[in-house]
Amino acid sequence: MKNIILTLLAALLFAVNAQAKLNVVATTVDLASIAKEIGGDKITLATLAKPTEDPHFVDAKPSFIVKLNHADVVIEGGAELEIGWLPALLDQSRNEKIVAGAPGHVNCSKGVPLLDVPATLDRSRGDIHAAGNPHFAISPVNGKIIAQNIADAFAENDPANAEAYRANLKIFTTALDAKLAAWQQALAPFKGRSIVAYHDSWPYFARDFGLKIELFLEPKPGIPPSPAHLAEVILKMKEENARVIIVDPYLNRRTADTVAREAGATVVPVTQFPGGLKGTEGGYIQLEDYLVNSLAAALAEKK
Amino acid sequence: MAEIFTVMKWPLIACLLLPGILVYLGLHIVQREVIFVDLALAQVASLGACVSLLLGHEAADTQTYIWSFGFTLIGAAIFAVTRMRHHSRVPQEALIGITYVVAAAAGILLLSRTAEGNEELRRTLIGDVLLVSPHDVLKTFFIYLGIGAVHFVFRKKFMMISFEPERAEAEGMSVRWWDFLFYALFGLVVTSFVQIGGVLLVFSYLIVPAVCANLLASRVAALLALGWGIATVSGVAGLYAAYRFDLPTGAAIICVLGAVLLLCGLAAYFKKEKTI
Repeated sequence: MKNIILTLLAALLFAVNAQAKLNVVATTVDLASIAKEIGGDKITLATLAKPTEDPHFVDAKPSFIVKLNHADVVIEGGAELEIGWLPALLDQSRNEKIVAGAPGHVNCSKGVPLLDVPATLDRSRGDIHAAGNPHFAISPVNGKIIAQNIADAFAENDPANAEAYRANLKIFTTALDAKLAAWQQALAPFKGRSIVAYHDSWPYFARDFGLKIELFLEPKPGIPPSPAHLAEVILKMKEENARVIIVDPYLNRRTADTVAREAGATVVPVTQFPGGLKGTEGGYIQLEDYLVNSLAAALAEKK
Repeated sequence: MAEIFTVMKWPLIACLLLPGILVYLGLHIVQREVIFVDLALAQVASLGACVSLLLGHEAADTQTYIWSFGFTLIGAAIFAVTRMRHHSRVPQEALIGITYVVAAAAGILLLSRTAEGNEELRRTLIGDVLLVSPHDVLKTFFIYLGIGAVHFVFRKKFMMISFEPERAEAEGMSVRWWDFLFYALFGLVVTSFVQIGGVLLVFSYLIVPAVCANLLASRVAALLALGWGIATVSGVAGLYAAYRFDLPTGAAIICVLGAVLLLCGLAAYFKKEKTI
């Protein structure tokens, strides 16, 4: 009898403990990976978009609404990255805790100095974002700001574990700082080198590492490449000795291959999300490792 | 169990209220053998939206709605004029296909000029039934009530031009004009449902219940009852499957409709065996 009561008590304690965990939903895997570093075992974590999905277009499934309905905290990149799909999901989930502006709604772009903020909003320049370029999370420098935003939100929503979150933030930031120095060193020999991207998602990464990623296979963000534009890109690549093209898994690899053949360049598959390519599943820091190493290797090979 | 209702409430309401008129129009469409006319009209409507974007309007503006409705009317006129050419060797289905393809290609050309990316257009013109807003469901429902009323008042004429066009002509009806009205209303129904459920779901709701019903019955009342029953049951089953197995919602409904068609085909086969 005593044993049974003890077991029951233990089970009850466990249940209370499990319930006390902060229920966190992140829109993309990169944010989830940072949230995991900060939250550790104090949170339960779910991610909506798959790492191979275009973060601008995510197919909604019923489980997304269930997850959001139960969430204490939702983490979004913000700056219009998820504008095509997240607002409708948040409406549908009817969860007061995570509506925009509530303490449970973390906008990671807060405090991030955004690049390419348009001076005027003009349709003629393609799918531009009024707030600036939303692909900021791939920059390790911004990664620290994101971690800070997430830690602040966790501490506010779960004050009992605030100390743990702050401690984890410190560990993560220290590790990231150490790595950042090593990454900058690895890419230092290639300072100023021109790299071609398919979509304009890399200005922050380029800034962190002194690279020049200003040629794009898309004539304007969101517009499919036209022959004339590609011809111009190939010409410029030869002028600037740009010999590396980077492509995300969800973009058209064949266009990049064709241009690479014409311009004598090499195509390097990249991803902005842990798990988007083999060898990046380990999280944010492993992803940056992968990007820096594969870029350094390709740049060294194509002098 | 309560959770499924918080998540699926509005998709369920949409699937109960809205397909009724699609099933009814589907019977007309199958009878007229213009199966792809809905896709063509939806594409023509979105070409209108592209023109509006080119003129500097936003995708959600009233002007864009007017442009796409205007283009739908042009499409309706094309399909009304090209019907009833007994002497011609060109089937109308070919013209419908051509309209679809050219409208789609013209849309791509215009978008590359306006430099308005697909993102916004996709967001406003192609819906996901999982994410319908109460506002959209109710707005569409009232539009459908109005169109349903027109069809009810003139039901004899609409039925005659679809099912017995020769007799309609012989009786001196202006088949062209009635056809135009039919396609204009049809275009309105299709384009508003595309915004809620997407192109594939519209097509399925129009054609599959009508085909199933035609396999099993022949009187108009029986066709309608069967079609409505099949659409409702498949919609609810599809939504449940989407929730239970966490699937993209529209696609789940479409696959259930496909499975139901298979069952109806089997049922029709065995029914025939028996009567022979």
